[in-house]
Amino acid sequence: MTQVTTERASAQLTPMAQRPAARRQLSDANIVRLFILPTIILLILMNIFPLFYSLFLSFTEYSVISETPPRWVGLQNYIDILSDSQLYHNFAVTGRYALISVGLQTIVGFSLAMLLRNKFKGSGFITTLILIPMMLSPIVVAVFWRLIFNPSLGIFNYLLGFTNPNTSPEWLGEPGLALWSIIIVDVWMWSPFVMLLCLAGLSAIPEYLYEAAAIDRASAWFQFRRITLPQVMPLLLIAVLFRTIEAFKQFDLVMGLTGGGPGDATETVSVQLYQLAFQGQFNTGLSSALAYIVLVVIIAISNLYIRALNRVREG
Amino acid sequence: MAVTTPHSAQPAPPPQQAPVNYSTRVDKVGLRPRIASATRAVIAIIIAFIMLIPVFWMGMTAFKSRPDAVSVPPKVFFTPTLEGFVSLFTQRRQLSEAEIAAYNERTDLSWADEIALLRGQAIIGESKFRGQLINSIIISAASTFFSVGFGVLAAYAFSRFNIPGKDDLLFFILSQRMLPAVVVTIPIFLMYREVGLYDTHLGMILLYTSFNLSFSVWLLKGFIDEIPREYEEAALVDGYTRLQAFRKIVLPQAVTGIAATTVFALIFSWNEYAFALMLTSEVARTAPPSIPLVLGTGGIEWAAIAAGSLIFLIPVVVVTFLLRQHLLRGVTFGAIRKG
Amino acid sequence: MATIHLQNVEKKFGEQFAVKPLNMTINSGEFIVLLGPSGCGKTTTLRMISGLEAVTSGNILFDQKDVTWLHPSQRDIAFVFQFFALYSHMTARENIAFPLQAQGMPRDQITKRVNEVANMLRIEHILKLRPGSLSGGDQQRVALARALVRRPAAFLMDEPLGALDAEFREGMRAEIKRLHIDQEATTVYVTHDQVEAMAMGDRIVIMSRAEVQQADTPAEVYHNPANLFVARFIGSPGMNLLEGVYESGAIRLPGRNAYEVPDRWRSALESSLPADGRVILGFRPEAVSLWETGQLGARVYADDLHGGYSMLHLELAEGVVIHARAGRDGNYPIGTPIGFDLEPEMVRFFHPETEQALNRGKAS
Repeated sequence: MTQVTTERASAQLTPMAQRPAARRQLSDANIVRLFILPTIILLILMNIFPLFYSLFLSFTEYSVISETPPRWVGLQNYIDILSDSQLYHNFAVTGRYALISVGLQTIVGFSLAMLLRNKFKGSGFITTLILIPMMLSPIVVAVFWRLIFNPSLGIFNYLLGFTNPNTSPEWLGEPGLALWSIIIVDVWMWSPFVMLLCLAGLSAIPEYLYEAAAIDRASAWFQFRRITLPQVMPLLLIAVLFRTIEAFKQFDLVMGLTGGGPGDATETVSVQLYQLAFQGQFNTGLSSALAYIVLVVIIAISNLYIRALNRVREG
Repeated sequence: MAVTTPHSAQPAPPPQQAPVNYSTRVDKVGLRPRIASATRAVIAIIIAFIMLIPVFWMGMTAFKSRPDAVSVPPKVFFTPTLEGFVSLFTQRRQLSEAEIAAYNERTDLSWADEIALLRGQAIIGESKFRGQLINSIIISAASTFFSVGFGVLAAYAFSRFNIPGKDDLLFFILSQRMLPAVVVTIPIFLMYREVGLYDTHLGMILLYTSFNLSFSVWLLKGFIDEIPREYEEAALVDGYTRLQAFRKIVLPQAVTGIAATTVFALIFSWNEYAFALMLTSEVARTAPPSIPLVLGTGGIEWAAIAAGSLIFLIPVVVVTFLLRQHLLRGVTFGAIRKG
Repeated sequence: MATIHLQNVEKKFGEQFAVKPLNMTINSGEFIVLLGPSGCGKTTTLRMISGLEAVTSGNILFDQKDVTWLHPSQRDIAFVFQFFALYSHMTARENIAFPLQAQGMPRDQITKRVNEVANMLRIEHILKLRPGSLSGGDQQRVALARALVRRPAAFLMDEPLGALDAEFREGMRAEIKRLHIDQEATTVYVTHDQVEAMAMGDRIVIMSRAEVQQADTPAEVYHNPANLFVARFIGSPGMNLLEGVYESGAIRLPGRNAYEVPDRWRSALESSLPADGRVILGFRPEAVSLWETGQLGARVYADDLHGGYSMLHLELAEGVVIHARAGRDGNYPIGTPIGFDLEPEMVRFFHPETEQALNRGKAS
């Protein structure tokens, strides 16, 4: 009789899996190891190792452009950052940006979805058209919106009716408007994403729920509140969470449109990180500490997101 | 809570128009629902148009002459020219009056030379853009190939087998995708500098591959989960090895999933800016970091920037149209099945 | 309770008929079953009666009032869906109360009615639960309660038992019928399950391919099917149908069998068959009496034991198998030849081309 060897990295599918490896066959366990190996190696090399290295650096005083090696300073970097009001300002900027942008995206995206949910001739084509903005490279988008936002040359002001170059708003130049400019571009790019998800949710609502409501003489508002909204909620949540995470990560758009300015009006945390690490002093230690703080915040939100994702996948 | 709708007590008169030979409810027949539907369509078209105005505008600017591109007020009608493209792809120098006259006599100028001459310039060589575009292509293609390749293997393993700590591992893999680029770049910058991978194709390919892997694994696992195991099990019972079953049965069925994942990985690598900005300078620089910096002599060359942007956007737009079915799936990391 | 008239009601999708012009009267208090395979048009007909589907042409009348274009909520109907259609974020009680709230009924009256109906369906104990935490059977009961609470002129049900486990269906069948009788309601019930239809219907309307095949009481439909489709569709198993050739009083059947036709059928057969004498002989399994010396012969092909009786598969000739009901006490080993007769009262004949049943004509 064949010996049955059980392996710890168990591959339990069929009895065949428990046959000992034939001469020219790889056992299931080995296949699993082989298949996962490249991914794990790359992960360790490019993600895990750098994360630990970064952690180490965050406790040191170090600059990549200097010759002197890293000097251990314990928690000093963290203290410096956490006691610098700039950090809180930037978090506030990032937070405001995330809140407003995601809020607007949700409203616009959901409205678009409600508009497009009943198919009409060409609705598929229009949907695809609306998807284009979000597939574009954010930096490229940022650059051509710079032209569009230009107070005198740009069509934004022109279309809005500001034809006098002396009085038209400087979208990217005025501290009060700059963040809104970035928000406008972000909403422009990503409302279609929310729309897509809402459309998927809306199309999954069985028609008989609405039919039952019709027979019971339910009002349109009731149908929206009790049938449409609850079914769309899970997907809407995913969209919101995802866009929130992305808003906290936002780098390309900000760099392309304002570079963090004017002043620090649009300096998001990512931009501050970049400036700390790759500009000016090239302060590696400090920026690593900041990076870790950002990491913690993002992992917390991602946790929620992935959980919501899983729940939707299951059903 | 009163939820009544004010319906009229009389039955609506039967519609006089064509008989209802399609599926619809009694209250959805007639003029008013039709008008509502038409209105919705019109609004949707208007919105789509408005949303695309920036893209149209950029496309138009690419074909404008330098003065047209920066005219006040902005010009909607103009004579198209390829000036922007020439500026983008070439390095030029300003000619003196005499040289301009001399050049005007010559008959052996290429179309690009002619255009440069219109602005009083002569072409002295290629700009870096073409090289950067090629870098983009190489790095995107290679990293996509590897990330999808490794990804499908790992996805299969995660899908079919009980791996200890699978859920945590998957979570960890996906969370990598959530990190801001800058966070990861700082240590990698140092690492690369140490081992000489800074500003190299290999370095960028490695980085993009690992970043795309997290997304690929998740997406592909979702696709492979949908392939019934019975097919492989039948093959195993018939005497195939697991590797053969994987190759002959699972892979062919996963082709659409692989295609969708490939597209998304491609788009991500293609569009990527932050890593390219921080980890490349001359040799391996891709297009995105340099598009904002296309400066000409005497100010920002908007037509050139627009031209570069347009070229850069076209592959993505084409792909969006070709793969709209898979968009939803990819964009939500495989959570939603419909297309 | 309403009398429902359908006058030339038809539904087309493009040029295709989903329901061919249909004329039907459903009497007040009747339990009518629309029966047929998927795609036959039964559900579309039901939906047209309810207003969920607009007619392509024709009229629908409730008690002489033309409701063809009336909004579903104004036809005084209740609709029970196959997948329950309950509002998942409201409790069972709120679901049931909802139609009454829409009518503007005072609250205490609503509560009274809801309790009444919950009592009828024995669901008082789950009123405060949400549909998500209820079993399929309970959910359907809540859906039924919601329909009942309105005391409508007619109940329309679209395969309400289709989503339930088999073990619940029989019980629920009986409950629905009992409720119908208690309420003295007019009910239009759609199903593809002929057992269900036979058990519940006062009349059955059998549909196939957008057309009504026969509309009659269960007994009539069973004993006198109007055509081959009905003969096959009704009964488990369906009617035995044998192709044969009629010649001077006897039908040549497969397996070198000759069946002597009962006298009362002779004139019908003489006059209605095509020139070559082809005919289809039909009889139910219980029409078969097994005799060693029977007129017809076959070989035992299989024997299905059904508890109280046996369903024999008898092979007359290669590929020609009939079903015969036999008592448990007989012994029928596979392969043995067997003889049988047919009850003269229970045989039927069908035209091979029109597929219509032949009329017996006046008894002599």
